[in-house]
Amino acid sequence: MPLRHPSRTRRLLAATTGIVALGLLVAGCTPATSNKPVGEPKTGGTLTYASGDAEPTCLDPHVGGNFPQALVSAQYLESLVSRDSAGQIIPWLAESWTPSDDGLTWDFTLRSDVTFTDGTVFDASAVQANIAHLQDPTTLSSTGYLALGKVTGTEAVSPTVVRFTLSEPDSALLESLSQTWLAMESPTALKRSQDENCAAPVGTGPFLVESWVKQNAITLVRNDDYVSPPADADHAGPAYLDEVIWRFIPDSASRYAALQSGEVDVIDNAQPDTIVQAEQSDSIEHLDSPRPGSSNRIELNSGQAPFDDVRVREAFIHSANVDDAVSSLFQGTATRSYSALSSVESTAVSNPALFDYDPTAAATLLDAAGWSETDADGYRVKDGVRLSVEFPVSTNQSIPAEQSVFEQIQATAKETGFEVKLAPMDLSSWYAALASNDYNAVSAPYTKVGPDVLRILYHSDSIVPAPSGYFANLAQVNDPAIDELLTTAARTADAAERASLYADAQNRILEGFYILPLYDQQNHFLLRSDVVGLRTLPTVAVPTLYDAWLNR
Amino acid sequence: MFRVPVLQLLRRVLTRLAGAVFVLWMVASVTFFAVRLIPGDPAQAVLGGPGSQASPEALAAVNAQYGFDQPVIRQYFSQLGRLATGDLGRSYALNLDVGPLLLSQLGGTLLLAVVALALAWLLALALATWSTRSGRIASRVGSALEIVAAALPHFWLATSLIVVFSIWLGVLPPISTGGTLGLVLPVLTLAIPLAGFLGQIMRESLLRALESPFVLSARARGENERGVRWIHALRHASLPAISLSGWAFGSLISGAVVVETIFARPGLGRTLLNAVTLRDVPVVIGVVMIVAVAYILMTLLTDAVSRLVDPRLRLS
Repeated sequence: MPLRHPSRTRRLLAATTGIVALGLLVAGCTPATSNKPVGEPKTGGTLTYASGDAEPTCLDPHVGGNFPQALVSAQYLESLVSRDSAGQIIPWLAESWTPSDDGLTWDFTLRSDVTFTDGTVFDASAVQANIAHLQDPTTLSSTGYLALGKVTGTEAVSPTVVRFTLSEPDSALLESLSQTWLAMESPTALKRSQDENCAAPVGTGPFLVESWVKQNAITLVRNDDYVSPPADADHAGPAYLDEVIWRFIPDSASRYAALQSGEVDVIDNAQPDTIVQAEQSDSIEHLDSPRPGSSNRIELNSGQAPFDDVRVREAFIHSANVDDAVSSLFQGTATRSYSALSSVESTAVSNPALFDYDPTAAATLLDAAGWSETDADGYRVKDGVRLSVEFPVSTNQSIPAEQSVFEQIQATAKETGFEVKLAPMDLSSWYAALASNDYNAVSAPYTKVGPDVLRILYHSDSIVPAPSGYFANLAQVNDPAIDELLTTAARTADAAERASLYADAQNRILEGFYILPLYDQQNHFLLRSDVVGLRTLPTVAVPTLYDAWLNR
Repeated sequence: MFRVPVLQLLRRVLTRLAGAVFVLWMVASVTFFAVRLIPGDPAQAVLGGPGSQASPEALAAVNAQYGFDQPVIRQYFSQLGRLATGDLGRSYALNLDVGPLLLSQLGGTLLLAVVALALAWLLALALATWSTRSGRIASRVGSALEIVAAALPHFWLATSLIVVFSIWLGVLPPISTGGTLGLVLPVLTLAIPLAGFLGQIMRESLLRALESPFVLSARARGENERGVRWIHALRHASLPAISLSGWAFGSLISGAVVVETIFARPGLGRTLLNAVTLRDVPVVIGVVMIVAVAYILMTLLTDAVSRLVDPRLRLS
């Protein structure tokens, strides 16, 4: 659930005690607007958004399908359904839906008053064209393609009713369709060449892509004919903002400086140090919106020594002092997780008792597992082999604070006798290390709406590498009982029964010590205080500027 | 009498040209194989970056379309063949032709590099002439300034300039997305360390020149101090700095990688960084080729300028 932290008390504290000279200087130089009363929304103005993510190579999230694409395309594309902050699926472009009793066909009733921004009518055949586009190999879709794995076909029952046919029941179908990577695009626009469609996809959203100057900015302008906000939006009709400039500022410090100086109004990927600074500032607000799907966790490779022994996995978990590392290095901006799932997932199971920092217990477990001797460097040995943990770290995915957490874990695990070998590497090398099974521990977050992410991450099918060498079950969990629970849950429509199956599966995963949960996937936004009404979609936690307006 | 210099000139030009072609060929080859050494599947670069869970069908389609299923050596020759005809190929990740893409980014980086080089020269000249004329303390101060400036890392300097000029003083934008004002901080970031470097060299050779016999004879001819310094000594002292400017230009372009990233400025450096991350081989080779060409041209230019400034070089 996205939380807004106005942190008024902290700001008051900062102002009265004058914490640091820098903070005061900043507060002195920038106009303090947060005290202005928030009245009726004002229409007009240009909002500048600065993303720290890589610039997408294609603005159509059907192609590939990554987070940077979702961030920007949520402004001009919309999905069939959405999710509210309580985790319930809510109407969007589809008004209602009914599965058949066997769960193999789903009828979606569509809104009849929606047109794409190129004038094409949104109807059943448009939905069909989108599903076909996502499933066409030449689209090169990855995320959307996977999410539609069980969909075998679509049929236009009437102009406003589209029927999905499935190969087997899919309890995650609605959650999958709610994701921005499966948003609806104009079938007319999809007929253009992929290059053209990548440069300016056409949707039904509150904004439309006016221009994209690569490596500089994407310009979005208001869709004046907009009628289709999701059921949980704050207002109806067109967006308030005239225009959105979407920039890419890769460097964290300059991104924050641009926000402080007012060059930009919103930044994403805010790092712990800047969040702490911002909370002392009068003119900047903080929006914390953890991503759905998995938590950030260290996966212990149970497919090979030494973590093929559950006692060694448990010993490692008890030898790592995660709490202290997280609280000191994230400076209070991240909350410790004890779950395989993100805290935004209502089906998440948390079990703090399993993840105590307990070096004594760890030592006993290692003794029992045969790692009883210690070499000259203080590391445990068994049959002349040192207790080493190869830990490749992606410097693209792990932010500096997280890399420091790993170093703290390395230091505390050493006291118990683990030699953790952290190997920072670029993204390609990191994936290659995983593909060649050269790892014992790894952190690889996975964003997906709903608990079905557990099937992707922990079903034994996911140990089989894709043609690219990628496999998602990096803990290499190979437990028929977990497989059975996850397969059944994915076919179970009843919400309570489904949640209970996922709870059982999570308990088995946690109790098998396959993972060491750290915190939710961090997703922090900082915005100028005069930006009002900005929220994130409770689906994939990307901001939507539809309700946003400028109080200036 | 007239033919010999023409022939000589022709031979010199041809040698230079052959050398340039050889350098470009080596640069293309080394880059091609160096990027290959990065582990991972190039088809993934096309399919949304490394780690994308592309379907087998999508991977097969890409491998066939881009020729990744061909042997490496064949890919190398076909790449080389295209380069020889001036075709830089098509970006894996951006779905764009590399030539026009880089041309659109070239202007920003050239502007940055040229202005930074000019400013570095101005700063170095000012510092060198002031510190050699104004006594021992000035000389010490000048020398210290130069050493400190030359040692400043770009990323540190850039962040410090942003803190001072954008956040504290609020006079200059922290990001450089167009307009003259946005150019100031990136140019300063590149020019200050280079000025320190050039200044050190200039001051040393200026001091040496001031002690050399031709300065003495100029003074003996009754030349005033300004003439001695600006016409004779400085001309001599600028020679090493001129020849170093070719190298400096290359270093400015590599500095552009850091500066363009920090100041979110479009340009070749940022393109290169993105391309390396995405394993976008055609773009990486394209940028490296352009930098190599710029480097070769700059070296030719500094040679020519050196000949203009120093008559001795023209005789040999």
